[in-house]
Amino acid sequence: MKEKVKEVKMKRRWGMAIDLDKCTGCGKCSVACNQENNMPIFEDDSDVPKRVAFLELMKVTNDRDAKFPDVKTAYLPKMCQMCEGNDPKNPNPPCVSVCPAVATDVGDDGVVSQIWSRCIGCRYCQTACPYEARVFNWWKPEYEGSFKKSLSTDVSVASRGTVVKCTFCSHIWKRERDAATAKGILDINAVLYTPACAGTCPTGAIVFGDLNDHDSEVYKLTQTDRAVRLTNPVDDVKDADKKKSLLKAKQFTNPKVYYLTSQQWLRDMMRFKKNS
Amino acid sequence: MEILKKWFKAGYDGIFEGTSKNMRIALYVLIVLSILFGIFAIQILFWGLGYTDMDNNFAWGAWIIGDLGLVALGGGAFTTGYLLYIFRVDKLRPIINSTVLIGFMCYLFTFVFLLFDLGQPLRAWFGFAYPNWGQGVYPVSMLTEVFFCLSLYFCILVVELIPTVLEHKVLIKNKYVAMVAHYMHLLMWTMAAGGTFLSFFHQGSLGGGMWGVLYAKTVWYAPHFFFMAVVAAMAGGTSFMTLVPYIAGKIMKKEVVPMETYQILTRISGFIFIFYFIFRSYDIYAAVYKYAPMGGREFIDMWGGYYGIWMLVLEMLLFAGPLIFLNIKKYREQEKFMVIGASCGVGAIVVSKLSVLLHGFSAPNFPWKGFTAYGPTFQEWIITFGVFALMILIYMAFVKWFPLFPHLEHNEHDAHH
Ligand code: SF4
Ligand code: SF4
Repeated sequence: MKEKVKEVKMKRRWGMAIDLDKCTGCGKCSVACNQENNMPIFEDDSDVPKRVAFLELMKVTNDRDAKFPDVKTAYLPKMCQMCEGNDPKNPNPPCVSVCPAVATDVGDDGVVSQIWSRCIGCRYCQTACPYEARVFNWWKPEYEGSFKKSLSTDVSVASRGTVVKCTFCSHIWKRERDAATAKGILDINAVLYTPACAGTCPTGAIVFGDLNDHDSEVYKLTQTDRAVRLTNPVDDVKDADKKKSLLKAKQFTNPKVYYLTSQQWLRDMMRFKKNS
Repeated sequence: MEILKKWFKAGYDGIFEGTSKNMRIALYVLIVLSILFGIFAIQILFWGLGYTDMDNNFAWGAWIIGDLGLVALGGGAFTTGYLLYIFRVDKLRPIINSTVLIGFMCYLFTFVFLLFDLGQPLRAWFGFAYPNWGQGVYPVSMLTEVFFCLSLYFCILVVELIPTVLEHKVLIKNKYVAMVAHYMHLLMWTMAAGGTFLSFFHQGSLGGGMWGVLYAKTVWYAPHFFFMAVVAAMAGGTSFMTLVPYIAGKIMKKEVVPMETYQILTRISGFIFIFYFIFRSYDIYAAVYKYAPMGGREFIDMWGGYYGIWMLVLEMLLFAGPLIFLNIKKYREQEKFMVIGASCGVGAIVVSKLSVLLHGFSAPNFPWKGFTAYGPTFQEWIITFGVFALMILIYMAFVKWFPLFPHLEHNEHDAHH
């Protein structure tokens, strides 16, 4: 039976598609994420740049000073984009290679992991991440009131001075797999799962799944014209030769989180093309 | 109690005896700063980095600037050591002890700064125990490289410093100590060679490579950054190594190092500055025309904000100092211009490090965000300046009690006869 386990190859490559035209900015994803991943809850959490949260709901406007009817707004749920680098077979996220203590790594399912208890808190990975997806525990985590009683036992509580980040709720997949194993199913690819944010979104804006499975909904969504990845300039290059030479010259993040929108202004905003 | 009082008095007399009033005030300030350093060090180490103005966007602050500056300027130690021991530029001998001491302190306090910057200082050894080395010879993470090179080079500096300590007038009377000191001097070239080799790597990594490899951050990404930092350290470091003993000599009103030595070192510094200037110009050119467009950004967009273009302009202006005053003989031979040239050189290096850090973090990662600012808290200032105060105190102690300037001893010796 052991050999059987060895033979099984990872098929999954987890990814996400977030429909910005559906997102209402209600913030449920962020609340669910905080709850699922044991985010600290301080009495006063008003210091936003020091706040510990994996999922940031960003408000995007075309122009801060614009007035009605010219002003346009959208909400953009932003978590770790699970960067891949140029070669999916040999992933190279910007944050992984820099860590001096191998506290962060990228798995064969494409998920960029983070082990809080290995992290020495140098914050080099934070510096390397272009999506501000990593957060540091500036203070000792606290749980106001009775929140401590509702902590999840699947996610370890981080100590002060460590960097934490979204892991696509990998522990839920592990839980599902454990349940399958209990039933005698040993195939690592046997079950799918849904992260907390995707499961809770009331408008169904967040779709999660396997990008390697071309029949999956998430894969199909990423192939549409509405799909756009956050600040990944190589996606804009249409000319195949040019693209090839660009990829040869430099690594790009190539995230596995895709956003979907038909609003041109928003697509431009996500590309650092402010004025079009 | 009586004994404590006695000790205190002895210590007080030992430090303050025969000092002028100004000197005394300076010493008080330095000592107060060092004590405050101790107090706030406890706060930061025990209660965490929440007390700093760093945040999830501005992940590094004052201490990393300190690190970058200290390591770059401390780089003068390996350059001078290399020139003296390998190239046999013997005229540099009067300055070498001071140089090694400055190098030693720069690296020692780089460790101190780095330790403060770690969220989990007690896990610092993870860097050695679980290094991110990967498959190849060269480590994957620039910080792993910094961990190893810095530690090894620090050991070398300790060995280089030992003869200076052994040559203390009481110790050297012992036959064995004298012998050890003598042989260590003879073998010093091996240390200088090893030090140069190691220095080359960590100058490159901590000074530049560390930022250059961040491929997703367009503000920093530049593969040549590694090499530029090495040149910067050689250029600025040699200027710094001239300035420190020069200032010490001015304060002591004695000729601690002969003018000739200063001249050689500043000439070398000026010469390397030419290369550094060319390199830096290419760097800016490449950033504007190559790397910014590759990253889908416009250079001028990125270089706005609080720490933008003006810092670049300031750096360029400061370049004029070493380029003109240290390279043209007529100016260099005038003490005034030599000092201005070297100071500007040090200034240019410090400003470039400041701008790498401040500007890099300040530039927005998302188009809908603005530039951010960073204002170090009281704790950060105190720890930064406390470190500088400690460095000055240690240097002063060495000047007072150890043969830091052989030239001075020779002269005094001659005067006795
Ligand atoms: S903060 Fe932690 S995870 Fe990030 S690079 Fe440093 S040790 Fe690695
Ligand atoms: S978004 Fe940031 S944390 Fe996530 S994989 Fe990319 S670089 Fe790493």
